[in-house]
Amino acid sequence: MSNNFITYEQVLEETKKAIAETLNIDISRITPDSSLIKDLGAESLDFLDINYRLEQTFGIKMARRFILEHVEELYGEGVAIDDTGKLTDKAIELLKIRLGEKAKDLKSGIYIDEVTSLITVESLAKGVMDILQTLPEKCTACGGKDWKFAEHLQLVCSSCGEPAEYTNGDDLIVNYIENIQKERRIF
Amino acid sequence: MNLPLQDKVALITGSSRGIGRAIAQHFANLGCNIVINYTKAGGSSETQAFSLSDTINNMGLKSLVVRTDISSKEDVKTLFEKVKDTFNRLDFLILNAARAPFKPIEKLFERELRQLVDVNLFGNIFCIQQAIPLLKETQGKIVFISSLGSRFYNPSYPLGMMKSAMETVIRDLSCSLANDKISVNAVCGGIVKTDSFKVLRQMWEGIDKIPEDMIVDEQEIAEVVAFLCLPASRGIRGQTIVVDRGMSNQIIHFR
Repeated sequence: MSNNFITYEQVLEETKKAIAETLNIDISRITPDSSLIKDLGAESLDFLDINYRLEQTFGIKMARRFILEHVEELYGEGVAIDDTGKLTDKAIELLKIRLGEKAKDLKSGIYIDEVTSLITVESLAKGVMDILQTLPEKCTACGGKDWKFAEHLQLVCSSCGEPAEYTNGDDLIVNYIENIQKERRIF
Repeated sequence: MNLPLQDKVALITGSSRGIGRAIAQHFANLGCNIVINYTKAGGSSETQAFSLSDTINNMGLKSLVVRTDISSKEDVKTLFEKVKDTFNRLDFLILNAARAPFKPIEKLFERELRQLVDVNLFGNIFCIQQAIPLLKETQGKIVFISSLGSRFYNPSYPLGMMKSAMETVIRDLSCSLANDKISVNAVCGGIVKTDSFKVLRQMWEGIDKIPEDMIVDEQEIAEVVAFLCLPASRGIRGQTIVVDRGMSNQIIHFR
């Protein structure tokens, strides 16, 4: 599965637009490596607003939950965040795989806020791109093989007009965690 | 001409955004001095709290901005010390702040459940306890902001059970504080398009099918809160007034 209709540059531009509109700031302040929390002042309610705007633009469903919440839903409370609110060794191990270079200085015992402040404009745009890559080969309603743009950057089936069914963000994260778990047995 | 709330002081918890902000602005329009409260340092709430404060100061009124996590008893004590130092009085305590995860009750982690109760029950009661000495002197009012979650099921809305608990707290306090001449009531809002609505629309499929005329404007809530702080409402005690444009009167809404 891939998506040849929408480029990463378009996604990055739309992500910047969504952030600028939500936080009521000038778009020129936003660079790919701006931290949403540290550099742009976003809070949890703002994240939901940004996500909502991106969902409307692309016709996708962004993840509702952060990766470590999914880990605890799968493997039990306490495996990622201990009862004092600090991240466990296992959580750090997973984040280092997920975030790569950006997470190289993360150590167990830090608080969750220090991880969420690593979320940048680029990581958000990549999250959108991951979902867009799940564009199915065929329309799930009629089996049609062609897509066209409807409103904004929403793709619909050229034959029947049904919107493209992307995998939702939460399911993508759960799949990701389960695959890592199969390979590495972290939890 | 004197404005109805001239020279009075209102503290509105969680007033940087949404309904709390609308209440603060409306009370200021009625001549009231305002204590603005928010929780998170360094983010968009802080920016909005200070811009609201500027607006109120430019109206020739006095405002105080205090960052407080109401779930911390020490923080709440400091908040009321600042109110006392700045204004030396308090007329209205508006309990608007709330914080909750959005997931079904059975899926809550222990820490989420504890935080839910810490902020939305303990936090409000800490505020009430600290406010009582000041409110006794002014024969002041307490108004709690509830929501329809106190009496109806909403998907992924565990805040509802805290709203029910608080409506009970309000009923009981209206009796136990009656001798101190402190009046205690609540306003239960319907669907309001504030920042929290951004969460709801992601959790409730079909919320956009609710007819536009059932959506409550935050100003409509603010005006009923103000009414409960004016002499005209002196006969109302321990009540929760529903402001939902009649949404809870009917089962079927989807037209």
